[in-house]
Amino acid sequence: MACEKEIWQKIGEGFVQEYYNQFDNSNRMGLGNLYSADACLTWEGTPFQGREAITGKLANLPFKRIKHIITEQDFQPTVDSCILIMVFGQLQVDDDPPMAFHQVFMLKSQNCAWACTNDVFRLGIHNIPV
Amino acid sequence: MSDGEYDYLIKFLALGDSGVGKTSFLYQYTDGKFNSKFITTVGIDFREKRLVYKSTGPDGSSGKGQKIHMQLWDTAGQERFRSLTTAFFRDAMGFLLLFDLSNEQSFLNVRNWMSQLQMHAYCEKPDIVLCGNKCDLTDQRVVSEEQARELAQKYEISYFETSAANGQNVSQAVDVLLDLIMKRMEQCVDKSWIPDGTVRANGPTNPDISESSDRNKCAC
Repeated sequence: MACEKEIWQKIGEGFVQEYYNQFDNSNRMGLGNLYSADACLTWEGTPFQGREAITGKLANLPFKRIKHIITEQDFQPTVDSCILIMVFGQLQVDDDPPMAFHQVFMLKSQNCAWACTNDVFRLGIHNIPV
Repeated sequence: MSDGEYDYLIKFLALGDSGVGKTSFLYQYTDGKFNSKFITTVGIDFREKRLVYKSTGPDGSSGKGQKIHMQLWDTAGQERFRSLTTAFFRDAMGFLLLFDLSNEQSFLNVRNWMSQLQMHAYCEKPDIVLCGNKCDLTDQRVVSEEQARELAQKYEISYFETSAANGQNVSQAVDVLLDLIMKRMEQCVDKSWIPDGTVRANGPTNPDISESSDRNKCAC
């Protein structure tokens, strides 16, 4: 059944498109502007708190080129009027083989604009020795 | 994934800077192919191969064949997103250390990889084979064979000039590493360094080897 997309879905899709576009096509410094000042990022289990720390982490990832391909993305409105996003896709860095990744975002409307307050990233790698 | 009988499960880890050709090298070894575009099944981080190992005595006589199930682990660039766990190093029994003959930095970084290995591998002197990869790119070569051999000699490890593109010396390098591992297992009086699960409990194993499962440091 074809139906009009919900507003939270449209906002979510817009964010996802902008986020990965900036990630793949810029020096990644601008990514920080998509986060709220006190946002949290958990990158492969390592926490980063605040826009500055998050920008530093993302801008300094050790590769030249990266390309994300989104396989699926899901959106939900939360009880406190935020938007929960789950992205499932593949990424390829420089000449390395592609890898799967999962990323979860929480968006919150602040001062009439949507900002990311939470971001959790994991590669889709299994068989990790512990 | 590990069906069927085997005597030994051998885990190798391919290491080296990003872009030196680790994935292509392993692909060439297991599948005998080179795929420069590399369309891969996402999520597979090791390749497997079955073979029969025949030890050769000093007189050239060959012993009973041992069925080997080889797992070749590939970091596949994940080190750029997450630090490799020390378990990655600890669980491997042998190491293929690759650099790119057309990339000097990857050669200089061999010493960093060596010190990481000496720190985190199951013992201070694990079995390592050094591979100068991309030897087919003769016009782009910046590391000479002498330089590479000198470095290998310093660390007392074997050196091969390999090409994942045309297969040159790829299986030879892995064979030498396997030989080192099997010799070490035969010679090791204290078998306690062998990681758990190496010797298959229900296989026709040597009882001397399967007895102990402690993860102590290598004593040989």
